[in-house]
Amino acid sequence: MALIFIRTAIIFITLLFVMRLMGKSQVGEMQPFEFVISLLIAELACIPMADTSIPLLYGIVAIIAIFVLHQIVWLLDLWFKPMKTVICGKPSVVINKDGIDEYQLKKNNLDVSDLIESMRVAGYFSLDDVYYGLYEANGSFSALENPDKSTSSLSLIIIDNGKADKKNLAVCGIGQDDLDSFLKKQNAKLKQVLVMTVNAEGRVYFQKKGEKYQILKMEVNGKW
Amino acid sequence: MVKSVIYTLTAIVASIILFVCVDIYLNKQFDEFGAAIDTLYRKVEANSASREDGYAVKEMWKEKKSKLHVLIPHNDISYVDYWLSEACGLIYNGEYDLALGKIEVLKEIVENLPGGYAFKFENIF
Repeated sequence: MALIFIRTAIIFITLLFVMRLMGKSQVGEMQPFEFVISLLIAELACIPMADTSIPLLYGIVAIIAIFVLHQIVWLLDLWFKPMKTVICGKPSVVINKDGIDEYQLKKNNLDVSDLIESMRVAGYFSLDDVYYGLYEANGSFSALENPDKSTSSLSLIIIDNGKADKKNLAVCGIGQDDLDSFLKKQNAKLKQVLVMTVNAEGRVYFQKKGEKYQILKMEVNGKW
Repeated sequence: MVKSVIYTLTAIVASIILFVCVDIYLNKQFDEFGAAIDTLYRKVEANSASREDGYAVKEMWKEKKSKLHVLIPHNDISYVDYWLSEACGLIYNGEYDLALGKIEVLKEIVENLPGGYAFKFENIF
């Protein structure tokens, strides 16, 4: 019986560790340990229930082990603040005054399109609509809104991490030559660009890797 | 907060008590059953085992397994059922040499079964 308890504890710790390694993209608005518990409880409750060859007591002991581990994690969270960071992680500031923090994005296994998607879910349709953007430990996105936000149309990604989005280029009515000359003016090569978005008014959010973002203008012919 | 700590400690203490009791109970049950199997083995070896001896061991196991079902996987119990029935069948027919081999397997199972649930490093992983 003690075996079931210890084995559950080992699986719990392993899953928690892996979830922390996976970063915020996998958590989905739960603390990592809550997510691990959700994963485990369903299986632990189902297996002894459905498989009559396993005593029900095995499921009950494993669920009690989960309860004890949950309480221990919760108490550690309350009593030792550094443990909270280790177990639950800490918020990651992915947009700051310089623009997108590529390092923080990578650290959380996210990319620019994930960030833009999170921003849209939060109600921001352009990268410069926020001063600061951060992913909380539970994976949800919070932002400090830019009071001068002037978005009146959807921004489309033209370059994402050094790769041009041909479909969006066509939607915006920007030709490859236009893009090349724009990049030349900014003294940048395609691979050096972290992100470039453009909205229907031709307002461009442009950020080279390791540099501060710029708001620029560009001629667009598309309608969206 | 205090309530939560009390609940957690209660769960831990209750679990430890349960683990110790289950361990003692399992060992006791299998020790008793192992002793009965040993006795049967010696009788079969001496060609003096009767139908009643086999029946008595079977009855003993029947009584024990009704409680063991709560504590160990039912597949393990059915192994004992299988080998015990085979051995008893051979004893009924007076085929002691063949029965000896079956009881030998049974002895091995009964000896090793509680060890499979013991709190040991190799069982954890």
